[in-house]
Amino acid sequence: MEHTYQYAWIIPFVPLPVPMLIGVGLLLFPTATKKLRRVWAFHSVLLLSIVMIFSIDLSIQQINSSSIYQYVWSWVINNDFSLELGYLIDPLTSIMSILITTVGIMVLIYSDNYMSHDQGYLRFFAYMSFFSTSMLGLVTSSNLIQIYIFWELVGMCSYLLIGFWFTRPIAANACQKAFVTNRVGDFGLLLGILGFYWITGSFEFRDLFEIFNNLISKNEVNLFFVTLCAVLLFAGAVAKSAQFPLHVWLPDAMEGPTPISALIHAATMVAAGIFLVARLLPLFIVIPYIMNLISLIGIITVLLGATLALAQKDIKRSLAYSTMSQLGYMMLALGMGSYRTALFHLITHAYSKALLFLGSGSVIHSMETIVGYSPNKSQNMVLMGGLTKHVPITKTAFLVGTLSLCGIPPLACFWSKDEILNDSWLYSPIFAIIACSTAGLTAFYMFRIYLLTFEGHLNVHLQSYSGKKNTSFYSISLWGKGGLKTINNKFRLLTLLTMNTNESASFFSKKAYRVDENIKNMTRPFITITNFFNKNTYLYPYESDNTMLFPLLVLVLFTLFVGCIGIPFNQEGMDLDILSKWLSPSINLLHQNSNNSMDWYEFVKDAIFSVSIAYFGISIASFLYKPVYSSLQNFDLINSLVKTGPKRILRDKIINVIYDWSYNRGYIDAFYGTSLTGGIRGLAELTHFFDRRVIDGITNGVGVMSFFVGEGIKYVGGGRISSYLFLYLSYVSIFLLIYYFLNL
Amino acid sequence: MVQMYLVFTTNYFPWLTIIVVLPISAGSLIFFLPHRGNRVIRWYTICICILELLLTTYAFCYHLQLDDPLIQLVEDYKWIKFFDFHWRLGIDGLSIGPILLTGFITTLATLAARPVTRDSRLFHFLMLAMYSGQIGSFSSRDLLLFFIMWELELIPVYLLLSMWGGKKRLYSATKFILYTAGGSVFLLMGVLGIGLYGSTEPILNFETSANQSYPVALEIIFYIGFFIAFAVKLPIIPLHTWLPDTHGEAHYSTCMLLAGILLKMGAYGLVRINMELLPHAHSIFSPWLIIVGTIQIIYAASTSLGQRNLKKRIAYSSVSHMGFIIIGIGSITDTGLNGAILQIISHGFIGAALFFLAGTSYDRIRLVYLDEMGGIAIPMPKIFTMFSSFSMASLALPGMSGFVAELIVFFGIITSQKYLLMPKILITFVMAIGMILTPIYLLSMSRQMFYGYKLFNDPNSYFFDSGPRELFVSISIFLPVLGIGIYPDFVLSLSVDKVEVILSNYFYR
Repeated sequence: MEHTYQYAWIIPFVPLPVPMLIGVGLLLFPTATKKLRRVWAFHSVLLLSIVMIFSIDLSIQQINSSSIYQYVWSWVINNDFSLELGYLIDPLTSIMSILITTVGIMVLIYSDNYMSHDQGYLRFFAYMSFFSTSMLGLVTSSNLIQIYIFWELVGMCSYLLIGFWFTRPIAANACQKAFVTNRVGDFGLLLGILGFYWITGSFEFRDLFEIFNNLISKNEVNLFFVTLCAVLLFAGAVAKSAQFPLHVWLPDAMEGPTPISALIHAATMVAAGIFLVARLLPLFIVIPYIMNLISLIGIITVLLGATLALAQKDIKRSLAYSTMSQLGYMMLALGMGSYRTALFHLITHAYSKALLFLGSGSVIHSMETIVGYSPNKSQNMVLMGGLTKHVPITKTAFLVGTLSLCGIPPLACFWSKDEILNDSWLYSPIFAIIACSTAGLTAFYMFRIYLLTFEGHLNVHLQSYSGKKNTSFYSISLWGKGGLKTINNKFRLLTLLTMNTNESASFFSKKAYRVDENIKNMTRPFITITNFFNKNTYLYPYESDNTMLFPLLVLVLFTLFVGCIGIPFNQEGMDLDILSKWLSPSINLLHQNSNNSMDWYEFVKDAIFSVSIAYFGISIASFLYKPVYSSLQNFDLINSLVKTGPKRILRDKIINVIYDWSYNRGYIDAFYGTSLTGGIRGLAELTHFFDRRVIDGITNGVGVMSFFVGEGIKYVGGGRISSYLFLYLSYVSIFLLIYYFLNL
Repeated sequence: MVQMYLVFTTNYFPWLTIIVVLPISAGSLIFFLPHRGNRVIRWYTICICILELLLTTYAFCYHLQLDDPLIQLVEDYKWIKFFDFHWRLGIDGLSIGPILLTGFITTLATLAARPVTRDSRLFHFLMLAMYSGQIGSFSSRDLLLFFIMWELELIPVYLLLSMWGGKKRLYSATKFILYTAGGSVFLLMGVLGIGLYGSTEPILNFETSANQSYPVALEIIFYIGFFIAFAVKLPIIPLHTWLPDTHGEAHYSTCMLLAGILLKMGAYGLVRINMELLPHAHSIFSPWLIIVGTIQIIYAASTSLGQRNLKKRIAYSSVSHMGFIIIGIGSITDTGLNGAILQIISHGFIGAALFFLAGTSYDRIRLVYLDEMGGIAIPMPKIFTMFSSFSMASLALPGMSGFVAELIVFFGIITSQKYLLMPKILITFVMAIGMILTPIYLLSMSRQMFYGYKLFNDPNSYFFDSGPRELFVSISIFLPVLGIGIYPDFVLSLSVDKVEVILSNYFYR
């Protein structure tokens, strides 16, 4: 079966014809191309399915024979150096390609319906297919330059897709922010690549590792320089995977359409950073301190993401912060050296989070018909609630995803997260404590999202967002003539502290707002008022189409069963799970062949511990966010707690601080905004001023001066004999004086 | 008849003379064309341009050995006897790329200039005259001839600028001519200095002067003279201020020529004269070149951010990209110099295309300042697509030519033997900061122009998207950009051998 490997180079190029043809078609024959909408979508799904079958075939061979296959072609030949392109098929590649293709197919099918009314339907499919191409190229690439190439291409796809609805100024800003932040990471990546090239003279992974290990063992390298290069390389992964200092782009990236949030910003592209670190782990592992740095960044991100997710009111942003936190877990696992665990969590998280995002997309899709197409409202969890009875299938899917992410046993994320937590106890107790408490936080915020969205009653109606009248006022038609009415951020009050106080507050503030509107719309107050009281005209959200539900159900299946690949089954006396078998060459490469045999007693003990933490988080969340009118006992409990006297003020203060921190995104965005953006603006102003006034000023000054000199000479040479004589005599006297002084 | 046939098949046919002389002589015939409106003139000019391009390609395809680093298609006629001035033309690996680029860009610029109706005879004649001047200076093998050709293309630019420019055209044209003529004075001094050195007979041949060595002090003086001339043209800070003004005012077809070819003449001159003829001085000055180049990348990029005018912003972006050429030239490595040559070609395409697109969108919305624009992506999706593609190309997205060029320059500086570790790290670091600044100004430019909804809401505005002609121009520039980005050996194979020959001077002397 060697020849399957030989044709593996085709993997990235299979989806490529779709974007090329759509691009050419849209440029040259726009109308004819647009008529063929579904055809293009069908083709992109078809091509991606071919890739999926191919990569499944490859991975079965990987599991059976576990060989690594590499092939290179020369690309740029010069006298001094040559760049090569090639492909490398190893377990990591096959895992990633299966992940990309399966999630990609689901998302493509989903977005056929999600985007069906969008004018940019074809553009969307072109971008998506191009993204699949470049992501597959990234995971199959065999050297660092190739990684860099596809790294940038993936970033560009992300840029285009975040800015897909570019008429929204927020989206326009968000895509630029994402690209520039990623470019900061790429800056590090490129410098790191160049640095390692300078040290080892090679870009190929295996040569690089070999040469580098030799150099390290002979102690021939400058450790400081090596560490610097490794940190720079790691910066690329930090930016792409939204780790701590460079995470700011990910929440803003949610301005894009929801399917791409599922595919790019949850499952695949953000995992590219993890992929890179995993790929280069043999390199990092021999350099001191860098592994500690990786795990440190990981743990900071875990905690930061979880705390920031606490008080978001936008459903997608909460999920984005949760993604960031989970990516932090993977980075932590890599930093601890547990390669297998990190990849396991990568897989399980990708499916669960894709499920969650697609579920939230379905929710948003059904909310849009009621509150309008403004993302401020259709994604606002304040306005949701009680969707259980309207969108039952979505609700079930979302619940499965939530439970999985919380780490409830039979679901996927439980297995991987549990392993990470176990490994962290072995690594460092402090990290383990943080990681475990964050697992509780994860359960808390995930259930907060779930409860706010699906439990209780539909808050839109409580806040008198009537479907018919106000959509025309609030909503923007995305492509139409209507301008974007960004609702002013009075929602600041609604920090969702507790639902019962919050509800009334929001109700009143909304009411005030409504009154203003009524004054504005004085011409037709009558209709508004009738509408205000007549609840029978309310629209209710309805379940999405089957095209959207099918991918959700498939992903539910994945979420349920993908954990199996990491569960150790007893096979002929050897405890070896599929994932370990799959990854065995890479793990052997790392010389980490630790005991795979697992103690079931230990396992159960740890599992019970982590599950109890998760249940703790869930119970707190349901205690706080479970709607009052549905569970009266909780209400009493809250009241009894609320009445506990002076401690309450302190508690409120602490909670307020946490919510402020979380609501303002930890003040990091604001800090970057003032320091970096302001700094660059200031620099630009300064250089512009310098260029205009000094450099150009000298030029213009010379010009003006020559003009004045000319005028002066013109004045002198005005035709008066006396002035000529005067000049003549003065020159003669000057020369005479010089002559006189020289002769002295 | 037989003789004619022989003439066409052998190498002694004066291909280069014809290529150089054809545009200007055919252009002067424009004035004798019958008065039938502008259409005849336009078609005539485009036909001449295409014919010239085909002729060049044919000559290069069939009468040139690509693996031969020596000068080919040599022609040598005595022109002025008493000071031994020859009409001496020749091509080598260094000049093939720029000549083909000139043909390509000028043809497309003529196509882009179709909306020009005022005084179109003179306009098209000037375009063709520029064509001759540029090809002449890229292919001349004689110092004085080089100087004459260099001056020849200044006059058309001045006239094009001062007659078909924007509001401040006279100021810009004057600034342009003063700057470049000022630079030319130094060029002339250098040419005469080299020519008259050492013997009573003036030596103006490139080959003989390439093998000559000078006292170090004299060489440094020559070097400075030439350097000032080329630094004005390239431009190198602080001599760059003519460029934003000129580009801001000129008609966009002129801008295409300016950005695509004229700037490259400076870089070509730096390689051809400063590197090839004055190697000692070059190795003395190269660290300074690299420092200036890195400063230029950062400085121009951050100045570009502060510009409100769309064309000026693009102009500063070209200044910033020229920094890579300077660094490549200064690195004195095979790789670096190849990267610089690749960047010459690549920026020729990208810069020209960006100016073209900016000009066409200006024609429609009639706004210059970025903060007044917005939301024109919906009515003009094709321009939007092409503009974003070229912005991506300009910010060195992999798969496009700019990336390969900049990457190779990076390799050049990394592998350079001449510099120590610390300076190399610093320079690479600063260059890479430019990599962060570039997307900021380019993307915010395209965001301010196209994204949002501002103009789009205006009920009175109705814009046409780009027609087939404009689409053709931008796509035909885009294809080579993509082609070079995917397979850079197209261009590199032309120049590799010559670069090796040039650099051998630095090691064997």
